Amino acid sequence: MRTRMMAVFLVTLLATGMAAATPAEPQRGGSAVVAIGSDPETLNLGITTGYAVGAVAASIFSGLVWIDARGEIQPGLATSWTTSPDGLSYAFELRRGVKWHDGRVFTAQDVKFTMEQVTGLYHGRFRPAFQNFEAITVTSPQSIKITLKRPYAPLLRLLTVFDCPILPRHVYQGEDITRHSRNNDPVGTGPFKFREWVRGDRLVLERNDAYWDPVYLDRLIFRIIPGAALRVTALEVGEVDMVADFYLPKTDVDRLKRNPNVRLRLGQPIPSMGFMFINARRAPLDNPKVRRALALAINRVQIVTQAMGNLARPARGPFGDGFKWAFSPESDYNRLYPYNVERANALLDEAGLPRGAGGERPVRLRMVYDAARAPIAAAAAIIRDNLRAVGVTVDLQPMDRAVMIERIYTRPDYELTVQTFTSGGDPAIGYHRIFASAAPGVPFVNATGYSNPEVDSLLSRAAEVPERAARGKIYAQASKILAADVPTLMLFDEIGVDASRATLRGVWIGAEARDRWDAVWVQK
Amino acid sequence: MQAVPLLLGVIVVNFLLISLAPGDPVATLLGEYPAPPEYVAQLRREFGLDRPAPMRLALYAWNVARGELGFSFAYRLPVAALVAGRLGNTFLLMVTALSLAALVGVGLGVTAARRRGSGLDTAATGISLAGYSIPDFWLSQLLVLLFAVFLGWLPAQGIRSVREEYTGLAAFLDTARHLILPAAALSFRYTALISRLTRASMLEAMSQDFILAARARGLPERLVLLQHGLRNAALPVVTVIGYNFAFVLAGSALVETVFGWPGVGRLLYDAILQRDTPVLLGVLLMVSATVVVVNLLTDLLYAALDPRVRY
Repeated sequence: MRTRMMAVFLVTLLATGMAAATPAEPQRGGSAVVAIGSDPETLNLGITTGYAVGAVAASIFSGLVWIDARGEIQPGLATSWTTSPDGLSYAFELRRGVKWHDGRVFTAQDVKFTMEQVTGLYHGRFRPAFQNFEAITVTSPQSIKITLKRPYAPLLRLLTVFDCPILPRHVYQGEDITRHSRNNDPVGTGPFKFREWVRGDRLVLERNDAYWDPVYLDRLIFRIIPGAALRVTALEVGEVDMVADFYLPKTDVDRLKRNPNVRLRLGQPIPSMGFMFINARRAPLDNPKVRRALALAINRVQIVTQAMGNLARPARGPFGDGFKWAFSPESDYNRLYPYNVERANALLDEAGLPRGAGGERPVRLRMVYDAARAPIAAAAAIIRDNLRAVGVTVDLQPMDRAVMIERIYTRPDYELTVQTFTSGGDPAIGYHRIFASAAPGVPFVNATGYSNPEVDSLLSRAAEVPERAARGKIYAQASKILAADVPTLMLFDEIGVDASRATLRGVWIGAEARDRWDAVWVQK
Repeated sequence: MQAVPLLLGVIVVNFLLISLAPGDPVATLLGEYPAPPEYVAQLRREFGLDRPAPMRLALYAWNVARGELGFSFAYRLPVAALVAGRLGNTFLLMVTALSLAALVGVGLGVTAARRRGSGLDTAATGISLAGYSIPDFWLSQLLVLLFAVFLGWLPAQGIRSVREEYTGLAAFLDTARHLILPAAALSFRYTALISRLTRASMLEAMSQDFILAARARGLPERLVLLQHGLRNAALPVVTVIGYNFAFVLAGSALVETVFGWPGVGRLLYDAILQRDTPVLLGVLLMVSATVVVVNLLTDLLYAALDPRVRY
């Protein structure tokens, strides 16, 4: 009896030992549930940059390329490409044998149609690049050539599913693209097909068996959970499997770190920055000395620790340090604008704003911000306190997003505001808009009224030159001017946090948490 | 007949409020990158935002009269379909919550009245106080923490499970499980209200002469309590339940958001943030119409309960 029990024990030990030693093989089957905060307004990713739309539609459509976790460009619908030495011509070989979800064959005509009739007209990030296109030529059913008027360095980064999802010409040609019924029930080439959308509740996608790579999940389900805290709770109890950075409240990260069933990805493969617009149209903010004083008076380290819970790095320059090649040590904020109350006070005195009897200077600034974003609200409060210490009074004005957009962009009526912008994968895609001259009225661009033709010219060149080292030099020149003028005070480089259940494997292969769900599988 | 001018008034007032609110629906809708100006202009034309407000109001009222509630700015779907889909979910939640509140509240109130001054009466008072004081969104989060996270007995959110695809009885039970926590959270305040009112009303009814007469005739105490006492005490309670229907509907917005319940309350909240005027007006109109209908039903029920009331 004892010998038999011993034998059973030893066999069990051996078996578990062997199981632990064998690397896990992807298993087919099961479903993954992803939490999103709201219903997407459409599923046509070619006409919007909305986050929730991308979260769902990135698995239904495909781009010519995708960006991996290291930030490198990988083949998607395009299997290879060549660039001409002058940077004006790109030739793409397209993947063969790809079928749309309705069975029709994908060809280069779909790519041409999408760029000319959809993304080139309606997409906020792709359109500016498209305006620089000279021609799109279909050289064969499986190859296409794009020629540009001027070189554009980040072009390949704008060919992902998030910036130029390829849409079916046979569905959309000749129809009203923005109001097409297929926008709610799309046909794509992606790893998952649309199955069901119950508004306010869920979106269900199912595996596309004809996809060119293996797809392991049977179903990919998006659960709409508007409450941020509830998204985290749902993750903890296993009702959802993934909450991406955009939908994850930073205050819960420490708790999630201690949860053995949850894995986190920290880092920001696609850099994004938080900053403070300073409305240069309003005196005394039109005086660069005053803006420099603000830069010295505001404690960026305190904002990172208290407002961002250390999920950020203090900003080190006009373009941050998320792109190492675009960072210029000469314009390092740590050197130029360390937290220094005495110097800030001195500059404000020099600028003709002396302290009155009560210690206050004749400066009253309104800080407008989105009330729903807790870290931004906390940063705004810290800025108010920092500026009070140098005699500048700040009135906090939290408001809902719609009103904030109007007050900052549509009819600029503010002095200070804290915002965050994503780089979109390259400073030329997402950061130039912070500093380039812009007419008032357009949301999500430079809202300070700052306009420097030299900076504009440098930024244009930085977008054209293909080689990183050369681009870096141009950014160094631009940074020098921007660091001296401080039209906008960069506050921090964000560190993103994505969270998923430990049973979900193969996640986060792409830089974007919303990407590459074909590689994901469930460990049973 | 007062309903028609009332609903018209609702449309006008709400339209004015929304039009006066700052914030542009198109800018709010288009993601976080500058959208092409032609697209913005196109959307403004589509949404009718290029017309002056009085003209938009007149057009809207005329469309409503023809049964047309317009299209949602955010979803590009007919408002009527959008709201109707969610209204059912909200009614499910509300009716369950109010039924729970009525059952438990009346039960507590009757018991407290019968055992006036006892420990049970004190406990019932304590529960009522808690019900009045505790905000329902806070209670909601507490219930989720206790029953979903710590104990794992009930789901944390939503109206049904998404991983499994239930049908028939299994689907019904799945929804029932999801309904327990939000209904409990929503009902708590009204349980308190109804129990206090029932207690007071019962005490008053039980002190009337007809109760003495019923006992003198030798009726069993149970019959005296329920058929004579409660029947008379119920009248103000029924009125209050009907009257509070509107407030429960308003409160459901918070509970629906906390529990991720896809109802009309949450649709309203989202529509406000998105400045989705057609949906806002559609929801408010339907809610107003519902309140009017419920008030009518309450009046009818009152008449059914009280033979002295004749319309």
